[in-house]
Amino acid sequence: MAVSRIKPGDFTKTPIDKTDDPDFGTMMIPKERYTSPSFMAREWERLWSKVWLWGCASEDIEETGDYIVTSIGREEIILTRQADGRARGFYNVCQHRGNRIMMGQGNATSFRCNYHHWEYRISGEFENIPDLETFPQGAPPCGGLTEVRVEEWNGFVFFNLDPEAEPLLAFLDPLDEHLGPYHFDRMVKVTDWTAEWDCNWKTSVDAFNESYHVQGIHPELLYFIEDKHIQIDTYERHNRYLIPFSTISHRVNETTEIPHLIKNAMKDAGMDPADFDGRVSEVREALQKFKRNHGPEMGLDYSDLNDEQLTDDYHYMIFPNITMNIHADDLMLFRQRPHETDPDKMYFDVQMFKLLKKDEERPRKPRNERFKHGERSMGLVIDQDAANLPGVQRGMHSEAFDGLWLGDQELRIRHFHKVLMDYIGDD
Amino acid sequence: MELGLKGLKAAVSGGSRGIGRSIASLLAEEGCHVSICARGQENIDTAIAEFESKGVRAMGRALQGREGDAVRGWVRDTVEEFAGLDILIANLSAGGGTNEERYWYRNFEIDLMSATRAVEEAYPALKESENASILIIATMAASETFVAPMAYNAIKAALVTWSKQLAEFYLPKGIRVNCLSPGPTMFPGSNWEMIQVARSRTYSAAIRKQPTRRMAEAEEIARSAVFLASPAASWCVGTHLLVDGGFTKGVQF
Repeated sequence: MAVSRIKPGDFTKTPIDKTDDPDFGTMMIPKERYTSPSFMAREWERLWSKVWLWGCASEDIEETGDYIVTSIGREEIILTRQADGRARGFYNVCQHRGNRIMMGQGNATSFRCNYHHWEYRISGEFENIPDLETFPQGAPPCGGLTEVRVEEWNGFVFFNLDPEAEPLLAFLDPLDEHLGPYHFDRMVKVTDWTAEWDCNWKTSVDAFNESYHVQGIHPELLYFIEDKHIQIDTYERHNRYLIPFSTISHRVNETTEIPHLIKNAMKDAGMDPADFDGRVSEVREALQKFKRNHGPEMGLDYSDLNDEQLTDDYHYMIFPNITMNIHADDLMLFRQRPHETDPDKMYFDVQMFKLLKKDEERPRKPRNERFKHGERSMGLVIDQDAANLPGVQRGMHSEAFDGLWLGDQELRIRHFHKVLMDYIGDD
Repeated sequence: MELGLKGLKAAVSGGSRGIGRSIASLLAEEGCHVSICARGQENIDTAIAEFESKGVRAMGRALQGREGDAVRGWVRDTVEEFAGLDILIANLSAGGGTNEERYWYRNFEIDLMSATRAVEEAYPALKESENASILIIATMAASETFVAPMAYNAIKAALVTWSKQLAEFYLPKGIRVNCLSPGPTMFPGSNWEMIQVARSRTYSAAIRKQPTRRMAEAEEIARSAVFLASPAASWCVGTHLLVDGGFTKGVQF
């Protein structure tokens, strides 16, 4: 059963052209990239300190003085909203004795270190140093906090530790054209979790860069998505696949009853599955039409999205560490951060955003919840991934395993490693 | 044992897949001419080809089960095409669903009304038959609480009650009416095949209650159905046969 796709000439703002598959060969990906402390050290030096990194949602620092502390490796960064509306970022470290200044998120009129109450303006300059006259050498000549590059795009704040870095939009190219039509800035954040996982950050990135594992660890999704016949596109740094949702995989038989995940998608759109007389394989297109016709009355503006974006998952990866499951009504954004010191650990940030319907009450802003793998559920599908990954990481340490043996369905993993190694240099 | 089906004319609603398909296929094997109706023309075409390969006449109509005129039209066409009718098997179902309001209408229109409409339309032809029989396919879930409160279970229960009264009413006209309730049944493309994967906990809960730890195959239901509908079951009237592999524990008096 072939899943219908939109064709050249159909309305779309997000480019839908299939890119030519690059030939990265069939070489094994060496496992040391996932396990070696020296590779991890090179990643810090040549990758993390050079690339644009997703910092927070713009709404996290909506008002003047709002701040949020994020981290990458051993560094902590304060992202904060200025009086003129700009977002700025500073290393979260006091110039006096090196103490961390701020924690978590909140609103501040100044950033004050708890140790000796050295105080900085939200624009970074020293505001007050108690007993300054007792420092014969005066205040540190840097004048305050050390700034990092910050730019905003489509409702997100990015930072870059490299003062010489290219502008954010150039780094993101061509994603502005691709993802602008979703208007993430119209969505609101509904979930904010950070889970500590016992695997390398790339083990997690890989897990979301292919849908080959769906038939392995997410069998339920075979009755909601087409997992194999999907479009994979690779760009200079970033990549994507376009994966049909609200349909069933070619791997399973069509049933008379509509599978529950598809029913849920229909109900979310206000379409009653009990009144649908077509076949299960006809739901996806009917749902696209329904949402197109009924979206506006529900206060949902789909006007910049093509028909299949109304049902499908346009799944993007922003190099190096952002995974985005993008749908017309919501966004599931995963950020994969390396552990400070241990290549066998990582931080998995889940940020979910949602488009609100007309008159739908804005849910309370979520506060970041931190936990270790297994301490709480993140929903069936993420739990299935999370339960699997520590085993992958442990297995990679085995003498009997040399590296990743990848197939065509895993092209995005090869592409990711190509871009990664362009930054890192040879193994 | 001779079932006496050779040369008889049968109509099976929803006979393009699953239990209905298996019933129609066994009837054809026994030499019955068979007519089916279903949603998809593609499945109908495949089914007809299979029936015809057994040396009988076969026909089918693609329709939506909730469209009364279409269901009636299919029965009329069958009677006309076959020049008569001996057996009607009301098997069409909308399946499970949930307890939400529109599902009540869906099961009412598709499970219940398609049966009453087909029976009413078939009556004049059945009255003329020497071997007339009607078989209503209900479900074990009508007599045993199963999975959750939902329209499917309750509407099927209405069919059981109706079939009993129909049996008494039609017997003097020479038409036997019986009812058969299958337990959970697994076949390629069955809803249970989907539930096993997509809602594995629901499946496990059901299979744990099945004494043999497996579900029925469609043909295991169909063999009982074909017997009940056949002239060989001449003394079975107004019976409600549970074919559930021992799932239900209540004693039927």
